[in-house]
Amino acid sequence: MINNVLSNLFSKPATRNFPAKTREIAENVRGSVEFNTENCVYCGACALKCPANAIEVDRPAKKVTFDLYKCVACACCAEACRKGCIQMAKQYAHPSYRKMDVVFQGAPLLTDENGET
Amino acid sequence: MSNRTVIPFGPQHPVLPEPIQLKLELQDETVVSAVPHIGYVHRGIEKAAERMEYTQNVFLVERVCGICSFIHALCYCQGIEQLQNIEAPPRAKYLRVIWSELHRLHSHHLWLGLFADAFGYESLFMQFWRNREMLMDIFDKTAGSRVIISTCAIGGTRRDISDAHLQEILDTLDEVNKQLDKSIPVILNDYSVRKRTVGIGKITREQALELGAAGPVLRANGVAQDMRQLGYAAYGELGFEPVTENDGDCYARAKVRARECYQSVDLVRKAIRQLPDGEILTKPKGRPKGRVISRVEQPRGELLYFLAADGTNRLDRLRIRTPTFANVPPLVAMLPGCELADVPVIVLSIDPCISCTER
Repeated sequence: MINNVLSNLFSKPATRNFPAKTREIAENVRGSVEFNTENCVYCGACALKCPANAIEVDRPAKKVTFDLYKCVACACCAEACRKGCIQMAKQYAHPSYRKMDVVFQGAPLLTDENGET
Repeated sequence: MSNRTVIPFGPQHPVLPEPIQLKLELQDETVVSAVPHIGYVHRGIEKAAERMEYTQNVFLVERVCGICSFIHALCYCQGIEQLQNIEAPPRAKYLRVIWSELHRLHSHHLWLGLFADAFGYESLFMQFWRNREMLMDIFDKTAGSRVIISTCAIGGTRRDISDAHLQEILDTLDEVNKQLDKSIPVILNDYSVRKRTVGIGKITREQALELGAAGPVLRANGVAQDMRQLGYAAYGELGFEPVTENDGDCYARAKVRARECYQSVDLVRKAIRQLPDGEILTKPKGRPKGRVISRVEQPRGELLYFLAADGTNRLDRLRIRTPTFANVPPLVAMLPGCELADVPVIVLSIDPCISCTER
């Protein structure tokens, strides 16, 4: 035990000097969900897979509503999206004073060669 | 002439990490009887599981317990796999062992720290928790999250571990092993620690069996029962032997967990050495139908899931029995006859996880 005491006495602190030195974020971390609605076809696959019901897709209105504070960052939506519109960002969701939804609306609906969406 | 008093111990108490209330009846400073009350953190997860789709439940059951989240998901997924008649690929089985054992290792670190804190050894508490941080970093790197790692899926795992990360795990385990060599002897050999734990909270082997103790509480009484002996995931191929002690007191329970730390390190090393190449996910076909009981070993003991499904995309019933629930009756048997000052040590010695218990 005495070795432990001495090594702790002369070693650097185990904690980080936080605001000055932040923690390095790991490479493939599931931080927070990021939408890129440019290619979105509003198929609703993400909303179906979401275990927390954090995503609502309104196809006629071309609208995606995402409740950031219901999200559990499981990355199911990112796996379900075939258009690659959803990515997991390498940063954690920021704290906020109000609980608000993120709404995307009005991106073009893509059609295939048969004219179907 | 009687001068008995009743002291409520908990639900908020400095040594208790989670809310359980024990109504202690005392004769002077000696506990005569204890009545446990739970129900402070009930979240209705079993009912919620009936409303969600069975594929989404994987993420729900992980939230039963933050400390062994992966093992809950594993138990659930194994149950669904049995119902759907599919088997996870060999690589996924080994990955499951790696993540399960890392969870056990970090849970035991957490417990050893809390146990030290229960008899007022705060510096030792910090030593263990500092070492635990290395394990949390592994989860962050390999799974993308520190606590709820969400890597288990029905039919395998959602993520693979790269060779670079496997090497990193091995390096970290070397360091963890080195630190354990420094800290474990303090728990096991220190005079004041032994004074607070040896012979305290003793139950007999017969009592442990009769009251249905699980996990390290049972194994500290010399009963070699561990669900990993069933050989689920890849445990059957790793030559697993349960750790047992014979004294049945707080010291024996600490010793079992301390030895299990080393065992987990060995199991992860062995699993990495034998890790086969190949797929990590078998695509499930159809929907689950039937009834099944799935059992795995959590850091605290045997975890039991009962699943009933009728072929739709929702379960009929999900019943979760956690090891702490099984260990409450033995706890009530340990308390009578002990001093009031020993109550925190005894309560902590069963490694209570009340959030698990109440689901």
